[in-house]
Amino acid sequence: MIDENARKTAAQCRHYAMCKIDYLETGLCPSGPERHYVAFYPQGRMDLYRALAEDLIPVTEALVEAADTCTLCGICDKQCHFVTGLRPVKVMEALKSHVREHLAAKKPVHRPKEDAVLERLRKIVGDEWATNDPAILFTYADDPFPLAGIQMPRYVILPGSRDEVAAVVALADELKIPFAVRGNGGSVFGFVFTEGIVLDMNRMRKIEFDTDNWCVAVEPGVTSFELQKEASKRGYRVNAAEPAATVCGNIVCTGTFSTWSNVYGTAADGFIDMEFVDRKGKVFRLNDKSAPNVFAFDHAMIPSPGVCTKAVVKLHPVTEDEEGVLVPFADFDRAVAFARDLSQRRIALALAVLGGHYISNFMSPSRELSEKIRDILPGVLGIKYLVFAVADAYGREAIKKMAGTAVIDSALFRTLMLGLPRLADKELAGIAAAYEGDAPPYEILCSPEMRPVVEAVLQPSPETIAGSVDDDLREFYARLYARPEMTDMVWLNMFRIVSARMSRRKHMFAFLIYVPLDRIEVINGIIAGFARIAGARKIEHDFGFLTPMDFGKRAILEYDYYIDHTDPAEKKKIAEAMTEIGPWLDGLAAKTKGVTFLMYVFSQGCSRKENFLYRLG
Amino acid sequence: MSTVRTSGKRIGKKREDRSARFFLTGGTGFLGSHIAVGLLRRGYRVTLLVRPSGARRAEDRMLELVDWFGMSEGDRRGLRVVEGDITLPGLGIEPEVYRRLLLETDEIIHCASSTAFSERKRAEVEAVNSGGLTNVLDFARGSGAYFFHHVSTAFVAGMTAGACPEGLVTPGGFWNAYEETKCKGEHAAAAACGEAGLGLTIYRPSIVYGDSRTGRSLLFNAVYYPVRTALFIRDIYEKDIREGGGRKAAEMGVRIEAGGSIHLPLRIEVASEGGIDLVPIDYFTEAFLALMEGTPGGGVFHIVNGRPKRIEDIIDYSCRLFRMTGIRACGPEEFREKPRNPLEALYERYVEAYGPYMRDDRVFETARSQAILGPRGIVCPEFDYGIFARCMNYAIEAGWGSRLF
Repeated sequence: MIDENARKTAAQCRHYAMCKIDYLETGLCPSGPERHYVAFYPQGRMDLYRALAEDLIPVTEALVEAADTCTLCGICDKQCHFVTGLRPVKVMEALKSHVREHLAAKKPVHRPKEDAVLERLRKIVGDEWATNDPAILFTYADDPFPLAGIQMPRYVILPGSRDEVAAVVALADELKIPFAVRGNGGSVFGFVFTEGIVLDMNRMRKIEFDTDNWCVAVEPGVTSFELQKEASKRGYRVNAAEPAATVCGNIVCTGTFSTWSNVYGTAADGFIDMEFVDRKGKVFRLNDKSAPNVFAFDHAMIPSPGVCTKAVVKLHPVTEDEEGVLVPFADFDRAVAFARDLSQRRIALALAVLGGHYISNFMSPSRELSEKIRDILPGVLGIKYLVFAVADAYGREAIKKMAGTAVIDSALFRTLMLGLPRLADKELAGIAAAYEGDAPPYEILCSPEMRPVVEAVLQPSPETIAGSVDDDLREFYARLYARPEMTDMVWLNMFRIVSARMSRRKHMFAFLIYVPLDRIEVINGIIAGFARIAGARKIEHDFGFLTPMDFGKRAILEYDYYIDHTDPAEKKKIAEAMTEIGPWLDGLAAKTKGVTFLMYVFSQGCSRKENFLYRLG
Repeated sequence: MSTVRTSGKRIGKKREDRSARFFLTGGTGFLGSHIAVGLLRRGYRVTLLVRPSGARRAEDRMLELVDWFGMSEGDRRGLRVVEGDITLPGLGIEPEVYRRLLLETDEIIHCASSTAFSERKRAEVEAVNSGGLTNVLDFARGSGAYFFHHVSTAFVAGMTAGACPEGLVTPGGFWNAYEETKCKGEHAAAAACGEAGLGLTIYRPSIVYGDSRTGRSLLFNAVYYPVRTALFIRDIYEKDIREGGGRKAAEMGVRIEAGGSIHLPLRIEVASEGGIDLVPIDYFTEAFLALMEGTPGGGVFHIVNGRPKRIEDIIDYSCRLFRMTGIRACGPEEFREKPRNPLEALYERYVEAYGPYMRDDRVFETARSQAILGPRGIVCPEFDYGIFARCMNYAIEAGWGSRLF
């Protein structure tokens, strides 16, 4: 018996793998760290339920185990709600119930036979860490990327060491079986599917610091969140990707870019050395003179240099006086000029121009609140864009002087975030909307003399912000938001735990382009192009962010489309849009220096950024 | 200047026998809707140009309004709604409908206007008050209409001191983009109507509030806004006292008095002279219709009170009605001695745009309008406590507009 509501929830899983990192200090789904396969995490169980509902797999031994090992502890509800608003526990209950009924009815449980290849794979990694169970395979066969269909692998293996990886790759080469590598078993871009062997690196999780050399060596199962946490404990910072993305996977894929790329750069800037297993199973390091030249960039889609088994990542110093600031703007061009100015003057560390859509999602713990705030920022406060910066005390002083009076400092940000539901109060919105003064309304909000009044209006507290979520989660959210880091712009930006909220309403389709920051007309042209293509097909769309790079000479721009990946009509729209976007951006890149579509950097994330930011031809 | 399209006598006749067909912009606005309803109730035929709003169609918006006015089926007979937007070429009307309207319009009443003051909103104000007017005047030129009624404002007088005549003016400066665009609009309307041979009447109300008899209103800016802001502040601190321990209220000197009144220490800067010129919507509507029907030759007319209300009185009314103490008017010198506290600074910033209208000592001449209104016994009522209470009670009941529709 399939529960339709549970199926719908299961189909909405975004595959962000946030249930695989303990980012809210709730602990993890108990079976995950023990069994490592995606099927033993909430994300995998969501996929399994969808697969059962759509009759894509039988009830198998592994599926029964996956259902049995769910303790209904409720951790996944908290974790998933925080970023997507979904409540997976209902799906877990439905999965367990379905399996219980299946077994009670004495229906068969599928047990796949071991074949010769699986036998050899198990000899390499151990019986437990190689499987051909269809339930396990299915959790590596699909993702929300709407343009890739289901592709079932024949085997999934979880190697435990570099040597095991080398042996598996050599075997695949010998038997001519294709393979794909999954850093954290997660995927959102449809690129990591194969009909052969999936290597899930989740068991390779070593982190070794070499602080004398300002670096840390990580194995391919280590996530950005975990590494940042360890680095932070020791007083350092790394340039980290999305929290659930693995460090090695992210570097190899596109190079790590973030708001910190303003000072830390991207691609080859992020590491000191990397270790790979090539496609024949031979191990090499990038710092070997005989290693392939992966520092060069080719403006084409090319395969990765091999399977990354270690990245030696740079550690960056942190000063105690770093804080975040937000500078509001009513105009995009001015916001970009301001961010560029900061980058050129080497004032800020992390730096970005954010749209109201981003900031409202980042700050709001519920979709409903974020939609209200999205309207209130421009409509009531006059804020259309925000320049976000992390800077030390000297830097912030300079930013304040450059910006004038209107700056949202860390204290005001905390007030706004903890009082956010009251900012959405109708009466406040009504009064602010009718305000007729010449100064933008945000200047009043930011004025230091207004702080006591703003505090009185917003009544900021963990309880206030917790009031915007489901009743049964309020106590948890109140405890969560009592933690200082949850309202600390520096922490939030280092760990990036709220960025997945951008997909809360619908699956996000992110387009990333390197752009010349000294040519605002090019940037505006690209934004207008994305808006036009989306608008013509009634696809939801919005500006994402822009981060200056290389002292303000270049920037990375993100523009986002939002689609319901479970809706065939929306899939069709995005497919049509893609046929226009590719040639348009290729044409633009060919005639405009400084424009490079990130798609071409895929698998070339180890290259020197200069080689794709400044393509000499 | 071209020949007039029709004689004053014929205009009067067509109005009298109700054969004149009106085309009115801004039909869902505060003034426009009242004029439209006034005309319909007098048996005129009126076509309203109405913008759709979000998912709400123009017709639905108008139906909501018609219900709000409690119009009878009979009164609605002469009503027709056309979807459009004055800021768009061809008024955003379907071309076929537009062509038909050109032939079926005798008189145009242009009420659509942006009343935003802020320099930040200049683009929006210009788009409506200048660009929109240009489109409406294009329509007028191309139509068979013979008369243009232009709803303007007494504040086209801008920074003029003293007497403000009932005629076209060119003041030395303006307080805001609204005044500036409305003043330019009068000149544009006069030029276009002169060239095309249309009769022209310009109506210049001062600040219009709700119905003096019922308190009902559709718009809650101007005199409502400072009261609303004060009540908002009062409610925040009252809540803090009753539910949050009262620390934030104590910091601001806000307290609950023994009798239950809220003490809100708020000094409001006022000038020693002048006040705010207020006319109720019922008076405005009656005056508009009387001027329209009584002046087939056109002209420029002030629809004002003439007895500016002192801010001190409005503060007194507010404190009385809403059981507040501590709010008082004072001169600028007092702020030099004791600077504004955060509450006072917030209040000042929120209402500063209304400053020129709260300290108004301009004298709007009314000889021409009074020549029509006086003999008909149309008199602007004094804005007294009774009217204030009715209007503010209605505003609260209507959620300052949020609960109207």
